[in-house]
Amino acid sequence: MEELFIGKVRPFNNSEPLPRRPCTAVFFSFLAAVNSAAFLFVKDKFMSELEKKLDLRSSLRLHGLAGLWSLMKGFQLIYAGAVVSLAAAALCRTATFLLLRFFVDEVLAGGFLINHLYIFASAFLGLALFEGGASFLRGKLSARTAEGLILRLRNFLFDHIQRLSFRYHDHTHTGELIERVTSDVDTLRRFYSEQAVEIGRISALFIFNLIALVSLNTTLGLLSIVFIPFILLQSIWFFNRIFQAYERYQEQEARLSSTLQESVTAVRVVRAFARQEFETEKFERENWEKFQRGRGFIKLHSLYWPISDTLCTVQMLLIFYLGARMAIAGVISPGTYMAVAGMVIWIIWPLRNLGRIIVQASSALVSFKRVAHIIKEEPEVLSEGLKAHPTRLKGHIIFNNVCFEYNRGESVLHNISFAARPGELIALLGSTGSGKTTLVNLLPRFYEYTGGSLVLDGRELKDYPIHNLRRHIGIVEQEPFLFSRTIRENIIFGAGENLSEREIEEAAKAAAIHDVILSFPEGYDTLISERGVTLSGGQKQRIAIARTIIKNPSILILDDATSSVDSETEALIQEALSKLMEGRTSFVIAHRVQTVKRADKILVLDKGRILQEGNHRSLIREQGVYRKIFNLQSRIEEEAVQGGLNA
Amino acid sequence: MPDLHYEEEEFSTQFSGKTLIRIISLLKSHWKWAAGFILLIGLVSVQDSFFTYIGKLIIDQGIMARDSLRLTQLIGLYGALAAVQVFAVFGFIYLAGILGERVQYDLRKEMFNHLQDLSFSYFDRTPVGWIMSRVTSDSGKISELVTWGLIDLTWSSLNIVTAVIFMLIINWKLALVVLAIIPLMILTAVQFQKRILFQFRGVRRLNSKITAAYNENITGVRIVKALCREEQNLNEFSQKSHELYWASYRAAWLSALFLPCTQIIGSLALGAIIWYGGLQNLSGGMTLGGIQAFISYVAFMLWPIQEMARVWASMQSSLASAERVFSLIDSVPEIRDQESAYDPGTIRSAISFEHVDFYYEQGKPVLKDFNLCIRQGESIALVGPTGGGKSTIINLICRFYEPSSGEIYFDGVDYRRLTLHSIQSRIGIVLQTPHLFSGSIGENIRYGRLDATPEEIEEAARLSKALDFIMNLEKGYEEEVGEGGNLLSVGQKQLISLARAVLSEPDIFIMDEATSSIDTLTESLIQQGLKAVMAGRTSIIIAHRLSTIKQVDRILVVEDGRIVEEGDHLSLIKAKGRYYSLYTQQFRREHTRDWDRSMD
Repeated sequence: MEELFIGKVRPFNNSEPLPRRPCTAVFFSFLAAVNSAAFLFVKDKFMSELEKKLDLRSSLRLHGLAGLWSLMKGFQLIYAGAVVSLAAAALCRTATFLLLRFFVDEVLAGGFLINHLYIFASAFLGLALFEGGASFLRGKLSARTAEGLILRLRNFLFDHIQRLSFRYHDHTHTGELIERVTSDVDTLRRFYSEQAVEIGRISALFIFNLIALVSLNTTLGLLSIVFIPFILLQSIWFFNRIFQAYERYQEQEARLSSTLQESVTAVRVVRAFARQEFETEKFERENWEKFQRGRGFIKLHSLYWPISDTLCTVQMLLIFYLGARMAIAGVISPGTYMAVAGMVIWIIWPLRNLGRIIVQASSALVSFKRVAHIIKEEPEVLSEGLKAHPTRLKGHIIFNNVCFEYNRGESVLHNISFAARPGELIALLGSTGSGKTTLVNLLPRFYEYTGGSLVLDGRELKDYPIHNLRRHIGIVEQEPFLFSRTIRENIIFGAGENLSEREIEEAAKAAAIHDVILSFPEGYDTLISERGVTLSGGQKQRIAIARTIIKNPSILILDDATSSVDSETEALIQEALSKLMEGRTSFVIAHRVQTVKRADKILVLDKGRILQEGNHRSLIREQGVYRKIFNLQSRIEEEAVQGGLNA
Repeated sequence: MPDLHYEEEEFSTQFSGKTLIRIISLLKSHWKWAAGFILLIGLVSVQDSFFTYIGKLIIDQGIMARDSLRLTQLIGLYGALAAVQVFAVFGFIYLAGILGERVQYDLRKEMFNHLQDLSFSYFDRTPVGWIMSRVTSDSGKISELVTWGLIDLTWSSLNIVTAVIFMLIINWKLALVVLAIIPLMILTAVQFQKRILFQFRGVRRLNSKITAAYNENITGVRIVKALCREEQNLNEFSQKSHELYWASYRAAWLSALFLPCTQIIGSLALGAIIWYGGLQNLSGGMTLGGIQAFISYVAFMLWPIQEMARVWASMQSSLASAERVFSLIDSVPEIRDQESAYDPGTIRSAISFEHVDFYYEQGKPVLKDFNLCIRQGESIALVGPTGGGKSTIINLICRFYEPSSGEIYFDGVDYRRLTLHSIQSRIGIVLQTPHLFSGSIGENIRYGRLDATPEEIEEAARLSKALDFIMNLEKGYEEEVGEGGNLLSVGQKQLISLARAVLSEPDIFIMDEATSSIDTLTESLIQQGLKAVMAGRTSIIIAHRLSTIKQVDRILVVEDGRIVEEGDHLSLIKAKGRYYSLYTQQFRREHTRDWDRSMD
C-alpha cells in the first residue's frame, strides 16, 4: 500500500506530468466501497440463519478479547465488511488531501487541465460520496453485527436461564441476574457497535494519514507524532479517573433515588409521625452529596479538555510552523503544505477520544466475564431418557431409602421410604425445615435425589425425560405466581393454545373463580398486572387451581395454605381443591385438620426423617407428636365454640 | 385507583413559550454563572472561526509571500489565542457543569419539599414510579437543557455566524453560494435528528419490555418449569427481542446515514469552492489561503449544524419533562392548615364523627351519614370484611383525609380548626405493611421520637416484644434493616414499627392489622405489654385475629360503611349475629396456622 503514497519532495513550481498515485488511491477507495456495498444486499435470510441458536456454551471457552471474538461467530465476515468500509472511508479522507495537493500544485500552479476545473470539483464531490457511502456502510454493518449477535445472546440467555436448575436459582439473586442479562449485555452491544469500530476508525485515520505524511515529507511525518504518546497517556489517565468519579456519582444518584422511593412509599408513616422535616433533611443530605460528587466529576472534565487541547494544539502548531518554514524554503510545495496541515489534524484530534474509548472498552471485558459466567452453568436436560414413555401415568410411587443432600454432606432427607398407590392422598406434616417441600420437589425432578431409589409406575424416576414427567404433575403453590398476561392466558399457561372456550370456563368454574372473572369489565381478557386488576391472594390461588385443572395431571402437589385468605374464600378454595384431588395421586403439605383426617396416608416429618406414618385413625392411637398436635388443635377449637355458646 | 398521570406524553403537544420562559427563569438566581459560561462559550466559538482565518494568513502572508517573520508572528498569535482558549474552555465546562448540577439540586429539593405538603389523595392517584421519574430523570433533562443545551446552541449559532462573516470578508460571492447550502444542511440535520430520536425512544420502550420479560421469567422460573413452558416462553421472548433488534438496527443505520448525508450536502459547497475558487485564484480574485479557509469552514460547519439540530430535536422532549415537573410543583395540597389553625397542646380528647360522608371517588361513597363517638381513653376494635370502611375511619381520624361532608370533633372542636401537625404528631399508628427505612433497627425505632434515649428505645422494644429478636441479632440495635426493611421478616418489621409507635407516646394509638404476621404466642405477650401503653390512651384496633380484640371496651362491626353491630365480646357472641359467625370461622383458622410451630 505504501507505494501508493510515495510522493517525492518536490521543488516549488514543479511541472511534472500528471502523477498517477492520487488516482490510484481514488480507485482503491472506490473498489473498497463497491466491495462493501455488496454486504448491503446480503439480506435478512442470511441473518435469520445466523440468529438460530448457536451453541454458545461450547464456543465460549475463551477469555478476554478472544472470547469477544468467538462471541461474534457467524458475524465475523460482516464485521470484516465494516472494517473494510471504515478503512475505505479513512482512505477517502486521506485521498481528499492528496487531491487537494495535486489541485493546488499541478492545476492552479502548473496549469494542468486548467480550463476544466469542473473535473476536479466533481472529483472532490465523488470522493465525498465514496467516503459518505463507506462510513454509512461501516455504521450499518457494525450495527448489523452488534444487534444480530446481541439478539442471539439475549435469546440464548433467556432460554438458558429458564433451563438452569432450582439449585442455581436458589443461590442467585434475581436482581443480580437481571442486571447481567440487561446492562452487561448492553455494554457488550456497545463494544461491538461503537467502541471497537471507533477504535478501528481512529487507528485507520491515524495510519493512513501518517503514511501519507511520511511519504510526503519524512521529517514532518515523524515530527507529527512526537506528542502523540502524551496525548494518549493523559487521555487514558484522565478517563480512568473520570469514570471512577462518574461511578461514585451514579452510586449517589442510586442512593438518592432509593431515599426518595422509601420516603414516597412510606408516606403514611412519615405523615403519621409528622416527620416531614426529618425526611426533608435526609433527602437534603443525599441531594447535597450528589451535588458535591457532581462537582468533582465536572472538575475533572474541566481540567481534561483544556489540557488535552493544549497538547494537541502544540503538536499541531509545531507542524504548521515547520511545514510553513519548509514551504518558504521551497523544500515542499504550497499544495503539500496544505495537505500536511489538513492531515495532521486528522492524526491528532481523534486520538484524544481514544482514551475514553479504551477505558469504556475495557468495561466490556468485565461484562463479558460476567455474562460468560452464566453461560458456563450446566442447564437441565429436559428431553433425555426413556424413549417409549407412557402417555398417561398411573401415579404409583415408591420411595425406597431416598436421600437428598443439598450440598455435599448437608443432608436434607434421610432414608425416606413409603409408597403411594394410584389415587391416594398423602398428607405431609412437619415444621418449617423438616423437609416436606424438598420431598415433593423430588417428584418433578426439580432436585435430583442423591441416594436410594424412587420408582414411578415401575420405573426409576431418573429414567423419565424431565419434560415428560413434569407434564403429568400439577403443582399449586402456597403463594401462586401469575404472569402479567390476561386471565385466560394464565389459565391455559401450561396446557397449550388450542383449548376451547368451554374447557377454560369449566376449569374456572371448578376452581370457583368463574363468577369472579365475569365480574371484571373485561372478563377473561382482563390483564393481571400493575396496570390491570389487582387480585387478592385467594383469587390468585383459585386461578392457579384452574390452571392446574386444565393441565389434567396424574400427580398433584398442593401447598394447602390459606393463611392470607378470609374464611369464605377459604371454604371455596377447599372445595376446589377437593375436586382437583379426585382420582389423582396427591401430595398435600397440610395445615388443616380436615385435610389430614381424610388422607390415606399421613407422614409426619422431622429434620428430614419420617417420624410417624399411618392414617388418622392409627396415628391418633399412637403415642407421639401427631396425637399431641391433634388434641391441642381440637381442644382449642372446641373451647372457642363452646366458650362462645356458654358465654 | 384512577391513574390520571400514568400515561405520559413523550412530547409536549405544542411548543409552549411559557414553559420555556419558566425553564430559563430557573437560572435567575444564578445569572452570574449563566452569563459567565455564555460569554466564555461565545469567545470559544468566535476564536474557533478565527483560527481558520489565521490558517489562511499563514498561507497567504507567510508561505506565498515567503515572509518568515510574518509566519512567526502568525504562529505566535495562534499560540497566544490558543492559550486564552484553554482558559475559556476550562471556564465554560466548569461553570456550566456545576450550574447544571446546581439547577438539578434546586429542582429536586423543591419537588421533594412540595411532596411533603401534598395530601394523601395525591399519592393515592399518583404511582410512585411517576413521582420517581419526575424527581430523578426529568429534573436532569431540564438542567441539561439550560446548561449544555444552551452551550451547544450558543456555540453552534455563533460559530456559523462568524464563519459566514469571515467567508464574506474573504470572498463575498463564494460566501453567498455556501450560504445557500447552509439552510439545506440544517433542514436535513433537523429532519434526521427528529427521526433518530423517535427511533431511540422506541428502542428504550422495547428495552424495558425485554427487562420486564426477563424479570418475570426469572421470578417465575419455578412455575415455568413446572408447567413445561420453556419453549413457548422462548418463542414469545424471541418475538420481543426481534422487535428490539429491528428497532435498534433501524435507529443505528439511520444514525449512520445522518452524518454522511449532511457531509455530502456540504461537499456540494466544496465542489463550488474548487471550481469557482479555482477560477478566481487564476484570475487573482482569490488567494490559495482563501481557498484553504473556505474548505475548512465548510468541512467544519457540519459540527455546529449537527449540534444545533440535536438540541432542537430534543427540545420538545425536554419541554415535556419540564411540564411534568412543573405540574408536580404546581399541584395544590387538598388538606392544609387554616389560617387561624392552632395547636391545642394535646389531643387526649373525645372523638366524634357527626353525619360524615366520605368518598375517594365521586359517586362511590365509602362512608354515608356515619356517626361515632369515642370517649377519651376508650379502646375500640373495628372488625368486618375488607373494603367495609375500617381503614377509612382511621384515615379520617388521622386527618390523612377530611370528610367530604359532615364534621369530626375533638372535644367538641372541629378538627379542621387545629393544625395538621398538632394532630398527626400525637397519633401513634402501626400499619399492616410496616414501612421501615434503610438504616439500623435503633434508628428505625427512634423515628417515633427523635430525642429518645437508648433506655427509652429499649423500653419501647421491650413493651412491644421486639427486644428478644433484636438481642438475638449479631449487632443488636445496630443491625441494618436493608432497603425498606427487606432484610427482616414481615413479623419482625411489624414488631419494630410497633416499638416505634410505642416510643412516640401518642395520645391516640392506632393499630391497623398491626400484628397479622406475628405468631399467636408472641402476640399475646405483646398484648400484656401494650396494656400499660394503652392505659389512659384512646386506642383503635383493626384486627382479624380475634384474640387481639377480646379485651377492648367496644367492638364495632363495620360493613358497607355502616356500623352493623356494636358491643363487647361477650354480648356480641351472645347475639349470634355477624360477629359470632366471623368469630367461629376465623378462630378455627387462626389455630391451624400454629400447627407447624407446635411440632417443634
